[in-house]
Amino acid sequence: MYRKSNFCIFAAVVLAAVLNVCVTPLYAQSIAEKTQLCAGCHGADGKPIDKTIPTLWGQQAGYIYIQLRDFKRGDRKSDIMQPIASSLERQDMLDIAEYFSKKPWPDLGQPSASKDVAARAVSANQSIGCTGCHLDHFQGDGTVPRLAGMGKDYLAKQMTDFRSRARGNNPGMSDLMLATPPDDLVALAEYLSGL
Amino acid sequence: MNRFSIVGAALVGVAGLLAAPAIAQQETKQEPKSASGQAKVSPVTQQQLNSADKNSTNFLLTNGNYAQTRFYPAKQIDRDNVKNLHVAWIFQTDVKESLETSPIVVDGVMFVTTSFSHVYALDAKTGEQLWHYNHKMGPITTYCCGPNNRGVQVLGDLVYLATLDSKLIALNAKSGEVVWKTDIADPEQGYSETMAPTVIKDKVLIGTNGGEYGIRGFVKAYDAKTGKLLWTFNTVPENSVGVWATKDATGRDMHRNIQAEKDQLAKTGDPYQKLGGGVWQNPAVDLATNRIYFVVGNPSPDLDGSVRPGDNLYTDSLVSLDLDTGKYVCHFQYIAHDVWDLDAVSPAVLVDVKGKDGKTIPGVIHAGKTGHIYVHDRKDCSLIRFSEAMVPQENMWVLPTKEGARMLPGANGGVEWSPIATDPGQELAYAINLHQPMNYFVENSPYPNGKLWLGGAFKAIPTEKQSGNITAVNYNTGKIKWQVKTPEPMIGGILATAGGLVFTGEGNGKFAAYNSSNGKELWNFRAGAGVNAPPSSYMVGGKQYIVVGAGGNTQVDFHRGNNIIAFSLN
Repeated sequence: MYRKSNFCIFAAVVLAAVLNVCVTPLYAQSIAEKTQLCAGCHGADGKPIDKTIPTLWGQQAGYIYIQLRDFKRGDRKSDIMQPIASSLERQDMLDIAEYFSKKPWPDLGQPSASKDVAARAVSANQSIGCTGCHLDHFQGDGTVPRLAGMGKDYLAKQMTDFRSRARGNNPGMSDLMLATPPDDLVALAEYLSGL
Repeated sequence: MNRFSIVGAALVGVAGLLAAPAIAQQETKQEPKSASGQAKVSPVTQQQLNSADKNSTNFLLTNGNYAQTRFYPAKQIDRDNVKNLHVAWIFQTDVKESLETSPIVVDGVMFVTTSFSHVYALDAKTGEQLWHYNHKMGPITTYCCGPNNRGVQVLGDLVYLATLDSKLIALNAKSGEVVWKTDIADPEQGYSETMAPTVIKDKVLIGTNGGEYGIRGFVKAYDAKTGKLLWTFNTVPENSVGVWATKDATGRDMHRNIQAEKDQLAKTGDPYQKLGGGVWQNPAVDLATNRIYFVVGNPSPDLDGSVRPGDNLYTDSLVSLDLDTGKYVCHFQYIAHDVWDLDAVSPAVLVDVKGKDGKTIPGVIHAGKTGHIYVHDRKDCSLIRFSEAMVPQENMWVLPTKEGARMLPGANGGVEWSPIATDPGQELAYAINLHQPMNYFVENSPYPNGKLWLGGAFKAIPTEKQSGNITAVNYNTGKIKWQVKTPEPMIGGILATAGGLVFTGEGNGKFAAYNSSNGKELWNFRAGAGVNAPPSSYMVGGKQYIVVGAGGNTQVDFHRGNNIIAFSLN
């Protein structure tokens, strides 16, 4: 899932975080302390340190909560996120989700898609109706994530993982990705990241 | 501020400039604003609601009256003068998203809603905002097809609203303050609310969305004064298997593998707990028999029937209940074991119809996603007839495949949620339709704990042209009387009036009036955003208005806006 060169860094961050959690009970931590760990990968300024890591700042609170819940349940697999989420209670997840949702969405400086790529992405959207859930301008709402301006590599990987069911915590998304040709998914990732 | 106020203010301003040297100290005062945050609205009585069909001043129920005819009895605006219709006022809401609201009007006060469950009280004469209820949405909402809200209903001095995070709320009609609030169901399990409640005899009736999330559908009745739950009818019974029907309501074979389904039933049991069956449009109320009639949506997962053996009762059905108890009276299933999401969503309408023997009887009609209008006997829900197809039908009922199988209509219909209108004097039902050629795909996956559970996908075919139509059907013969073709699929709703007109809008922003007898277009207006909401009508100060939301549509991705537009003559 993550590039090997970065894995050691992530592992160190996670180890430190887990140790921190062990030393200080979660209920005694402030929201800033609870989320300190997250910044190690997702970025202290909201910009993820790696292109395959999602943006959390400005993301929909309901979506962040559901992902944390699913990591804890094991419905969404991640060697990094599962140990972190397993220590969180429901209210912690909701608090963390709200905290990040209130932050401004960072500009990752990704270029707009070319006219041809955009046309292909728009056509794919019209076919399967992405905006039916992700809403106008792909801003998301509630438990549905914002896609506009998300990292391109992360978007591409998630769509591919849904398609192969490697990401198994939303079979409806898997069904929609399976009904979409891989080339269209490439176009969608480029288009969405540049919005 | 209405347009006359603007002109008046401009004239006063010019006069002030001209006279300035002589009367430099004179001040020009504008009229004081009306009491901000207050709506002068009289309590709505049950008697008023019962006779809403004859009320040519107010618009009291989502679909005009308890029979849901969407036939408005005022006729000041008619076929001769509708060409003079113009904008009386425009109100811009704070929410630029899909607008599906049916404006409710009570004695000059209008109540409209927007996406994300906002409510506004407006002066129906001027469009001035009287109050705004901004619902504090919980962090968890689970819904497909847009953060829609279709409106409110008023009884007494309370305004009833159901929210996207699945709460039922009573607001003070004068101030918009919350009087009581109750949880309907858990949004984390896939439940949400987009419909307007139906309030009748001190009960608030509400269904639920969630057919794409493996919910178990219901209609619930709450005490209108306190919010206490009175009864629940589960739209999926514990025995949902049915009669292993192999043909649809029109007699076409649905290609079910009954033996495979029976084997699955023996292995996994009745799938009733996660079978879907949402109800997200208002029930019609038969005041004479104290029964309600509503339609039940698709089974979960939408396209994969392998995990849900049986007819999947009462999905894709017309259902009638006793209003007082919520007990089952009768049902009719249009499509057993649906694997195309061609379910029943456009609200049921009560009209007198000709029975099979030609005698006039109380009937109930429903416009299907299949493109047929179905006519039933109200006594036992049995089917009397179905209309000619209003849209092209091809390859029905081919089963969805992994590679995708083409079939018409597409999964949105036919007639989507859009309420129909009727004109009993002409024996006509008016429906708006979509034509979207689609491929149907099937996939298999286990129940995902409240997540999107489609069991495949329905995918519009990019190379095939989409379109729409407005169709008038004689419900006593099943024949199409007239049809107007539109360049884009139609979704939103329609209103018929005693002025011999029907009003409806399109996704491209066109809002138009048609002669209700022959479909001739008599007037149109360009709203600048999709007009995908059902129009209402009302009278204030002796003047008839037509009002409609122009906010576009999420589901079909029509251009978004945030306007409520009222039209009148002169």
